[in-house]
Amino acid sequence: MSALGVIVAVLSVAVAAAVGVYIAAWVDIVLARAVAGVAVRPLEALVAPLSWGAAAALKARTTTERPDAETWALAPALLAALAAVGLAAVPLAPGLLAADVANGIVLFGAAMALVVVAVFLQGWSPNSPLPMIGGYRFIAEGLSYEIPLAVVLIAAALPARSLAIAPIVLSQENLWNVVRQPLGLPLYLMAALGLAFWGPLALPEGEDLAGGSSLEVSGVSRILWRIAQLMILVAVSAMGAAVFLGGWLGPLLPGAAWMIAKTLVLLVLLVGARHLVARVPTERYVIASWAILIPLSLLDVFIAGIQALVAAR
Amino acid sequence: MILDVTFWAFAALAVFSGWRVFRADSMVRAAYWLLVSFAAVGVILVLMKAQFLGLILILMMGGEMTIMAVFMVAFMMNPAGLNPMTMVHRNRVAIVAGVVSFLAIAALGLFARFPTAPAPGGVDPTRKLGVELLGDSMLVFQTAGVTLLATMIAAIAISSARGRFGNADEGSVEPVQLVAADAGDEPGEEGPR
Repeated sequence: MSALGVIVAVLSVAVAAAVGVYIAAWVDIVLARAVAGVAVRPLEALVAPLSWGAAAALKARTTTERPDAETWALAPALLAALAAVGLAAVPLAPGLLAADVANGIVLFGAAMALVVVAVFLQGWSPNSPLPMIGGYRFIAEGLSYEIPLAVVLIAAALPARSLAIAPIVLSQENLWNVVRQPLGLPLYLMAALGLAFWGPLALPEGEDLAGGSSLEVSGVSRILWRIAQLMILVAVSAMGAAVFLGGWLGPLLPGAAWMIAKTLVLLVLLVGARHLVARVPTERYVIASWAILIPLSLLDVFIAGIQALVAAR
Repeated sequence: MILDVTFWAFAALAVFSGWRVFRADSMVRAAYWLLVSFAAVGVILVLMKAQFLGLILILMMGGEMTIMAVFMVAFMMNPAGLNPMTMVHRNRVAIVAGVVSFLAIAALGLFARFPTAPAPGGVDPTRKLGVELLGDSMLVFQTAGVTLLATMIAAIAISSARGRFGNADEGSVEPVQLVAADAGDEPGEEGPR
C-alpha cells in the first residue's frame, strides 16, 4: 500500500470512529424518545450529546480515597485504543484498510479480548466497593460473550479459508454469511452487547450497583469512557457488516456506501437493544450463555465446517 | 531501519515491564505489567513474521493475566489488592535463581548458532511451526483439544453452585429427614442415619 493510502486509511479510522460515535449517541436519544412515546425531535436530539458532554465537562471531577490514579486514567484510553484497533482491521472498501494484515480477524479478536482489562481497571482503580464488584462481574461474564464471539467469527472465516477480512468479504459474493450461517449474526450481536457492556448486558455498570464500574467517574473521564464504549459498538458493527453482511458488496452504489449503510443498520440494532430489551441479571446471562449460546455457536462452526468440506469436494 | 527501531523499542518495553512486575506494589498492577511484557513479546513475534502466533499470544494473555490477578487477589489476605504490598520474598534464593537463569539464557544467546541469512520470502512460519510441532499427529492434538474443552465444561458444571439437587450452599439439608417424613413413618421414630 502506498504512503498516501496508509494516511487515508488511518484518517478513515479516525473519521469513522468520530462520526460513528456521534451517530450512535444520536440514535440512542432518538430511540429513547420514540420508545417512551414522547415527541422525537430528531434535530434537537442532534444537539443532545453535545449538551450532555458540556454538562458533564463542567461538573467537578470527584475522586475517591487512595485510588490507583494511573490505571484509572489508563482505562478509557485503553478502551478507545482497543476500539480503534478493532476498527482499523475492518476494510471500508476494497484496499481501504488501515491494518492490512493476514490475520485481520485475529487482530480484531485480540483487541476485543483486552476490553475486559479496560473495564476491570475502570472498576478496580477507584478503590471503591460497588465499582470493584462491577469490574469483577465483567470478568465473571467474560467468557460468556468472548467464546460465542470468537467461535462465530471463526465460522465466518471458514468459507473464505483465510483469516484476513477482505477475502472473507469476497467469499460472500454469491451468498452472504448471514444467510449461509443463520446462527452467526444473532449470536454475534448478542456477544457484541456483552462485549460493549451495553443495554440489556450493561452488567458491570448495572443499576443494581448504582452505576457499577463507572460509579465514581465524573467530568471529562466520564465523557471519554462513554465515547470509548460507543467506539466499541461502532467497531463491532463494522466488523459484523464486513463478515456477515457482505461488507462493501452490493449493486449500483459504491462499495464504501454499502459498507457504511450496513454498519449503520447493525449499529441501530445494537444501540436500540438498550431501549427494547430488558436488562438481564448476570447469573441468568452466564447460565444462558454456557447452556445455550456457546453450544449454538459450536453448532454454527460445525455447520460452517461441513459446508466448507462439501464446497471443497 | 524502522523494523530495527521497533524491535529494540518493544524489546526494551518487554524487559522494563518485566522488571516492573516485581516492583509493583499491588497484585493487579503486577499482573498487568506482566501483560504489557507479554504484549511486547507478541509484537516482536509479529515482527519475526509469526503474525498469527504474536496476535494469539496477546489475545490469550489478556484473559489469562486478568484471571491470574483475580486469583492472586482472592488468595491474599488483602482482599482488594489495592493496599501496598511487596511482590518479592525469599530474596537470597530469588537472587541466586535469577542470576543463574540469566547466565544460562545469556550463554544460550552467546554460544548458540543462529542462522545469519534472512528467511526466504513466501514462507509462512506459523504453518511451518505447526507442521513441525504437530506433523501427522494433528488428529491426536485436535482430539486432545476437544477433550480438554469437555473437561473444562464438566469442571464448571461440577463446581457450579447450581446442581441437580439445588444450590450448593443449601446442600447440607439432610435428606433422611425428608425421607422419614415422606414415608409416613411413625412419629418420633428415628429415620435411618
